[in-house]
Amino acid sequence: MTPARWQQINELFHAALEREQPTRHVFLRTAAEGDPDLLREVETLLRSHENARGFLDEPAWGVAAELILGEPAASLTGRQLGPYRVVQEIGRGGMGVVYAAEDQRLGRMVALKALTPEYTRDPIRRERLAREARSTAAFSHPGIATVFALEEIDGELYIASEFVEGYTLREELQTGPLAVDRLLPSLIEIATALAAAHERGIVHRDLKPENVIRRTDGQLKVLDFGLASTTASSEAPSFTRLTEVGVALGTPGYMAPEQLGGGEVDARADVFAFGVLAWELATAEHPFGRDPAAALARMTELMGGGSASLSRSLPVAGLDGVVRRCMRAAPAERYPSAVALLADLRSLERGATRQPAGAIPLWWWQCHQLVVSALNASMTAAVWLIRQWMPRPYGSVIFLVALMLATVSVTLRLNLWFTSRVHPEMLDRHRARLFPAVLGADALLGTAWLAAAGLIAGPHDAPAALFVVVGAATFASLALIEPATTRQAGLDRPAARN
Amino acid sequence: MQEDDRQSLETLLPIVYQELRRLAAGYLRRERQGYTLQPTALVHEAYLRLLKDKPDRWQNRAHFCAIAAHSMRQILIERARARDAQKRGGERQRVTLDEALVRGGERSIDLIALDQALERLAALDAEQARLVELRFFGGLTIEETADAMNISPATVKRHWTVACAWLARELEGNSHA
Repeated sequence: MTPARWQQINELFHAALEREQPTRHVFLRTAAEGDPDLLREVETLLRSHENARGFLDEPAWGVAAELILGEPAASLTGRQLGPYRVVQEIGRGGMGVVYAAEDQRLGRMVALKALTPEYTRDPIRRERLAREARSTAAFSHPGIATVFALEEIDGELYIASEFVEGYTLREELQTGPLAVDRLLPSLIEIATALAAAHERGIVHRDLKPENVIRRTDGQLKVLDFGLASTTASSEAPSFTRLTEVGVALGTPGYMAPEQLGGGEVDARADVFAFGVLAWELATAEHPFGRDPAAALARMTELMGGGSASLSRSLPVAGLDGVVRRCMRAAPAERYPSAVALLADLRSLERGATRQPAGAIPLWWWQCHQLVVSALNASMTAAVWLIRQWMPRPYGSVIFLVALMLATVSVTLRLNLWFTSRVHPEMLDRHRARLFPAVLGADALLGTAWLAAAGLIAGPHDAPAALFVVVGAATFASLALIEPATTRQAGLDRPAARN
Repeated sequence: MQEDDRQSLETLLPIVYQELRRLAAGYLRRERQGYTLQPTALVHEAYLRLLKDKPDRWQNRAHFCAIAAHSMRQILIERARARDAQKRGGERQRVTLDEALVRGGERSIDLIALDQALERLAALDAEQARLVELRFFGGLTIEETADAMNISPATVKRHWTVACAWLARELEGNSHA
């Protein structure tokens, strides 16, 4: 059939549809006179139009819901799988259905995860999964649900792991944020488990509240370690990659930007997920919003290199800074692994009044504050010394103006420096409030140095040159050095600007 | 569509996909409880949100809808194929359309056959094929489709009627073959 012919059929089809049944047939006969093929085409189309009313009316995701979600796996409850007797279903996740089962060789309960075929049909993935399971199984830690074995029974894959009874943090979150006295200890427990794994080069890749269980005795256990490795090579066409990822995709809101983009993932992706988790435990709200579309928009921001903009502060002093550093868009700006993160959480717990070691690299910024303060003070003194070289009354005016501005600038800068040493958690807010004044004072000081240079130039060229240099340096500092040290200290976040 | 828009859309697709899963799950849940469901057009919603957030970046809504609908089609076909591949040499399993959805007797939609039929339709009338993609895979309403394609709702309706009839006939032929 040609497009032109199809056009012809279309027209006749619509014309026929406009006529009521009894006249329709006569109309068609006349219209398609001498073209039996056309008549047949239109008639069959009309018939299928009548029969298939509502066909395709339901969008694809409704029609193919089962397909999108995968076949609802037949329950294995009560069945005997090799040495395992399946007792009951305890959960369903992206990777498959999890059962409580009895390992009859050892007489103990295990969690048996029946992996969905999507997860196991690809030999490369299967091999990779087996390797991951082996490396994870070789590792046991009280904060991690131990993987016992990857079992192949009748061609299907199962992961047998420690059976943990309790509630997931997701369930715990349903009643609101964690109590403040419980928050930090819980975070430290999770970070301890993560750190132990990271030290061995094991990355979780899918940390989220659903994957952390609080046992009835209070101990936290991280589930599914290292098993969420999913992505095929990054050169795979994006659609294939997408469907591949889709199967084991956790909640996208916990994935680091580089993970969402399908890039290489290391311990820092876990650090990111930990940040989101910590935020959620502290506030019972997801930092990017509950709604997937909003999360999606926030993630675009992150992928564009922005920082997660978080508007509120957390109930534990100093935790803000730690969490924000976890959630930096660029992996290099996060903690390199949970080990450093754990150290900071511990120092928060000790209630250390000092800036937690390395939580925010403030050193350069602090230095900058001191150097600028010293410079402003000494230059003001220098103006006092040279005031007679300037025509009256400029010497005195410039000195007094400089004295006033330097007092403002030095006081505020030293104040900020002091805050950074003693109350780092307040620094953000403090700086946001004071910095405009500092900026203004310094800019005017720079202008004053240049004015002084202009007034003494000629008879006193050498000191004038010094003033020009310092004036220029002041502007350079404001425009370049200060922003650099501020950025490095992590004080330039949107939250600080809001 | 700009290259960087396309790129960021591709990285967003996992989220679109996740949302697709959520819609499907909600659909099944309600279906089982006997509700009739009018699912929101995901593509439409996602686009509106993005538009609100970044008005300057996502101006080309038609493209956004087209790409999102097309990706959903890809995802579904890919999955349907994967499932076929699983059935070693056996009869191809049809994706069963819930009977309640279609009056007029038992019917099932073979997504792969539909995809192929849609390709054939595209050769006859590319606009109709695009329209079916937006409506069926993207879940857009008649009005939204008209908007996205920059044609009148009446034209959408006409195209939709004949395209559906044609596709239904093609699939029927296929199932008898």
